[in-house]
Amino acid sequence: MNPKNTKNTKNIMKPSMQTSELMSALADGQLAGEDFAAALHASRHDDSAVECWDTYHLIGDALRSAHGARSADPAFLSRLNQRLAQEASPAAAPRPVQPAVQGSPAVLSDHRGQAANDGEFRWKLVAGFASLAAVSAIAWNATGLLAPAAAPQLAQAPTSAQQVVVVASPQGPMVRDARLEELLAAHKQLGGTSALQEPSGFLRNATFETPRNAGR
Amino acid sequence: MNLKLLRLLALAGCTLPAVGYVAAQATPAPAASAVESRSINDWLMRMHEASRKRSYIGTFVVSSGGAMSSAKIWHVCEGDQQMERVETLTGAPRSIFRHNDQVVTFMPDHKVVRSEKRESLGMFPQLLQSADGRIADYYKVKQEGAERVAGVEADIVLLVPKDSMRFGYRVWTEQKKGLVVKLQTLDTDGKVLEQAAFSELQLDAPVKMDKLLQMMGKVDGYRVEKPVLVKTTASAEGWVLKAPVAGFKPMSCYKRPATANPAPGEEPLQWIFSDGLASVSIFVEPFDRQRHERESSLSMGATQTITRQLDAYWVTVMGEVPMATLKLFANGLERKK
Repeated sequence: MNPKNTKNTKNIMKPSMQTSELMSALADGQLAGEDFAAALHASRHDDSAVECWDTYHLIGDALRSAHGARSADPAFLSRLNQRLAQEASPAAAPRPVQPAVQGSPAVLSDHRGQAANDGEFRWKLVAGFASLAAVSAIAWNATGLLAPAAAPQLAQAPTSAQQVVVVASPQGPMVRDARLEELLAAHKQLGGTSALQEPSGFLRNATFETPRNAGR
Repeated sequence: MNLKLLRLLALAGCTLPAVGYVAAQATPAPAASAVESRSINDWLMRMHEASRKRSYIGTFVVSSGGAMSSAKIWHVCEGDQQMERVETLTGAPRSIFRHNDQVVTFMPDHKVVRSEKRESLGMFPQLLQSADGRIADYYKVKQEGAERVAGVEADIVLLVPKDSMRFGYRVWTEQKKGLVVKLQTLDTDGKVLEQAAFSELQLDAPVKMDKLLQMMGKVDGYRVEKPVLVKTTASAEGWVLKAPVAGFKPMSCYKRPATANPAPGEEPLQWIFSDGLASVSIFVEPFDRQRHERESSLSMGATQTITRQLDAYWVTVMGEVPMATLKLFANGLERKK
């Protein structure tokens, strides 16, 4: 941000282009001192600044996250829905965000209840483990785990606390246990007692650190 | 008399050329013989020292059972301080900073930072210099020539296990100072289980420690997690290994208080063993019929895992050792009487 912009943004009647630049810089954590104060001022007095802020964060989340941006700001979602309602043909487009439009908790919870993977939590896990699957070849020889009889149970996402997750691996779909992931992470963190730890072991573990917090 | 003289002459005739041959070989190549005579401890010490003295930037690639992951590495040493930054290029985005034994992991997708101390990073000299000379008892060293890796000339050193209880390692160590540039973990048949190497390496790169320290401390907007670990002993928790597993010594034992993660029940006890190169973790937690249905074994690259039920407990043994070795741990564990 150059000083000229800063002076202009102090004036409430500024062109919106500069507001968006300022919000972009604020979202990136690049502002300090006078610029920072100006950005905060703009965010208090200008709705478009707040909108910019939300949008940049959504973009940032989408770019950074391996799992896609989730949990959008409700205000953003309602604006999105308004615009979708204005534009789209009634049948197709607004469907993915329909629950938010209707604001009907009953419909929402009903959907969740039917989901085999119990909503977002499990999907988050799957996404996390898929990234681990990419780095390790997996071979279970658990008795019966991959037997056909066991498969329907897994698909229904059993009510037990066990989080069995099916992931893709170079050898095809495999069954993984969320608990095992935690133990693997603990083994890598604390069990690296080796003369090769500093020359190589630490880098090895860091390079494919398990998604330990995937479920949190 | 004649016969005696003849015998003497014959002996001299044999030995003299031999002595001459040895002398001729020894003098022109002193460097080569120094490399040949390095003991396993000398090699390991050299590799370790190199990691504490050289600064570099590189790309590190780990390939395990046919799949691959990679990270960009910054490494800097100033005095006895070491600092490392690892940015994963595959899988979930992670930034891992290490300052000596302090490790901070940024998980931008969850806005979480994990901050922890890793004791294992400070254990190196003890692993080599313990009175019972452990590593050399269970592994022998063999040099296998030289090769160029990531643009640097490297000696290839084979660390061969003396029994079938552990895996072997093939290490490429940079010729000038000894930095490890490539490492393979080999199963008992010599097959490669896992491979880690620099694909690109810039030695003596201008990495600034204060800049990395600044990045490591920038946790604004993140939730900082500090794993709560309680140091304990297996004996105090009521566990013994009825027969020691050859070469493996208990290194440490921890438990995590249940409050840290209340949902899946009590957090397990982790008892860690090492033979100086390979490590094994024994996890013990209360048996839960719902979660612990089947005893199983799992193999992921170099890391093997087996589980078993032991009375009211569930035991998971995990380590970079053959499955048979894990079984010895799993079957050897028992409740103290």
